Amino acid sequence: MARLKFLCDTERCIDCSGCVVACKEGNHVPVGVNRRRVITLDSGKPGEKSISVSCMHCADAPCIAVCPVDAIYQRDDGVVLVNKKTCIGCGYCFMACPFGAPQFPKGEVFGARGAMDKCTFCAGGPEETFSAEEKHLYGQNRIAEGKVPLCAGMCATKALLAGDADVVADVYRERVFQRGSGSNAWGWSKAYDKK
Amino acid sequence: MQRRFSSVVLIALTVLFAGSAFAGELQAGGAVTGSSADYYGQLINVITGNWQEYGQLFTLLQSQWFSKIFLVVITAVPAVFLLHYLIIGAKHFDHDGEQIYFFSLFARIVHFVAAISFSLLVITGLMIIFGSFFGGGMIIRTARYVHLVSAMVFALPGLLMFVMWLKEMLPQFHDIKWIFILGGYLSKKKKPVPAAKFNAGQKMYFWFATLGGGIMAYTGYIIWGFGATVDTVRIYTMLHNALGIGIVAFYLTHVYMSVFAIAGSLESMKTGYKPKDEVDILHSLYKY
Repeated sequence: MARLKFLCDTERCIDCSGCVVACKEGNHVPVGVNRRRVITLDSGKPGEKSISVSCMHCADAPCIAVCPVDAIYQRDDGVVLVNKKTCIGCGYCFMACPFGAPQFPKGEVFGARGAMDKCTFCAGGPEETFSAEEKHLYGQNRIAEGKVPLCAGMCATKALLAGDADVVADVYRERVFQRGSGSNAWGWSKAYDKK
Repeated sequence: MQRRFSSVVLIALTVLFAGSAFAGELQAGGAVTGSSADYYGQLINVITGNWQEYGQLFTLLQSQWFSKIFLVVITAVPAVFLLHYLIIGAKHFDHDGEQIYFFSLFARIVHFVAAISFSLLVITGLMIIFGSFFGGGMIIRTARYVHLVSAMVFALPGLLMFVMWLKEMLPQFHDIKWIFILGGYLSKKKKPVPAAKFNAGQKMYFWFATLGGGIMAYTGYIIWGFGATVDTVRIYTMLHNALGIGIVAFYLTHVYMSVFAIAGSLESMKTGYKPKDEVDILHSLYKY
């Protein structure tokens, strides 16, 4: 089975936030939760770069390791999903995540965090595929429909790639080769770039 | 008296300042230069703080160690006490003889409220740690709410106990002797042990419950609302769990001592009176 992965090409991302809106709107994500966001460094300065970040669906995901109620699990295709009915909103997954992916809706009793919500790779959730409950809790199941996730599907510059890891890597490798981005070796730009 | 209060305020302020010092870290973007590796390095710092330092440590401790250590504590400690009960047995004192007024009504009420809320804190805390055992969901979610409410209830009696017993709980030289003979609990003989109103074991539990309880309350409050940077929340969560290990161990000890190890000693927290026989042995330096 193919391993599903995301890749955001920082040379192409223009900080339009279309991916954020597409995800939020298409999946009816709870208020206060963004499954995907665009982060820009050095905004307005030369060398400004943006990247769209969400759950990366890690191999050996730290969120799965720390969850005290085993609410998070990984599918065979690598997609990491949460069972919102089991989740207690403790927030440990957020502390363990290297990408800040897990999000928590507000408004529960005593100001408690609600069940964790994060990117599903548009693959629904543990409920029955295409059921109303799946859609209500987790959003669309585009993977089951044979489509790419909403964010990558609508990305205007095709900066955000999603799908079979081998194909995604091939596309990116081709781009890097054509751009001639340099070696990307550690220290080279600091040592050899002429100011 | 005034001095005692000001020292309490001072300790509270120190705890608060230590917390806000942590919160001051992080949030440094800086100019992006160099290779894409450098760029990703900076980016990840903006998103999730210093993951390499604290996130990884938290992941390791939470996934591998905390639940295991807690499991050892809640099985080994009672097992040791069971052996103690079977081999050495409970201490019995003459409850019909002369009685000594040991705990005022105020102290008893404060202790009672603290005991209920503290027990709930320990039970719900353990339920969260072993959440997967219960299958998570509504029952563990409820445990979290009870944990929060119990913490708020415990805050007042915790503070009152701290002020009320601070003087008697300060370490004294004879406490070292008490620790060396483990309070005489390893022998069946009734020999007077060196302790005043509270013995060294009670003193240790006192500091874990009040000062430790204060740290638990503050870190817990920050964790509950994510009221700081993610690195601070990670540190506080590790602190909360690590301190919890000690607190649970002492809690179990306190329960065993009061309910089983000294027959009938629970009565003194209900009526306020201890038998003179018991005081002369277990609190031999107490002046009544």
